Amino acid sequence: MEDTLNNILVFATNIRTDNDKKIISRTLNDISEIQEWNIDQEDVDCVLRIVSEILSEEQIINILHQNNFNCTPLD
Amino acid sequence: MRTRDINKEELVKQKAIEMLVKYGIEGFGMNRLAKESGVSVATLYIYYSDKEDLIKKIGTEIGQTFFSEMVKDFSPTMSFKEGLRKQWENRARFALKNPLKVACWEALSHSSYRDDMLEESLANFKKTMWSFVENAFEKKELLPVSIEVFWSVAYGPLYALLRFENEGKSFGDTPFKLTKEKMDEAFELVIKALTP
Repeated sequence: MEDTLNNILVFATNIRTDNDKKIISRTLNDISEIQEWNIDQEDVDCVLRIVSEILSEEQIINILHQNNFNCTPLD
Repeated sequence: MRTRDINKEELVKQKAIEMLVKYGIEGFGMNRLAKESGVSVATLYIYYSDKEDLIKKIGTEIGQTFFSEMVKDFSPTMSFKEGLRKQWENRARFALKNPLKVACWEALSHSSYRDDMLEESLANFKKTMWSFVENAFEKKELLPVSIEVFWSVAYGPLYALLRFENEGKSFGDTPFKLTKEKMDEAFELVIKALTP
């Protein structure tokens, strides 16, 4: 786990509903650079967690914006 | 470079256990946990993928600690009385030392997390305890009772005494302290009840 810490990106989003999740799932599942992702929809921030060795925060934000979702890095 | 801070992680676990006991699973949230343990929400999500993952990991860890304490200096080939005494000692020691972990385990045991937690942590322990009981039957050191009745009689009195100890009082507001004498007294009665 230690070596993957740098590859985990965490964002606050507005992916609130099941339908929202379906929409973004299609996109995220198709991106081979994403090893793992999940959304905690129980959280107020609908936290999106991405594990990727390659993609940057900016690239993830862009992907979300293209799908009309808000996306702010959590620090 | 982000590094895993073991102290911080332990603090988060400790806080999570406290909060699960205090607010229950429903009232427990990642944001609240982050705030109370002084770490950022992002840090929490780096350690755990979500609330469910965190609760499962914490439950499994408590289970593993608990069951490894239970089998300390214990062997299923011990005589029934000696083995059961060891179980009483181990269980009492763990419960007195870790009241919060026990309360958290209790809360999670009655939830939908039960199966995940038990599957991970219980298998070996179950095998050991089964063979202890089976050996005792075979050696005719234990009366033929159903496993539920066995468990209730064998450990019920201990857990009742531990509850009094935990609350520091018994009936009304009578102060209560669990002494070795009281434990021995209860243990002897249990042995009397379960042995031929």
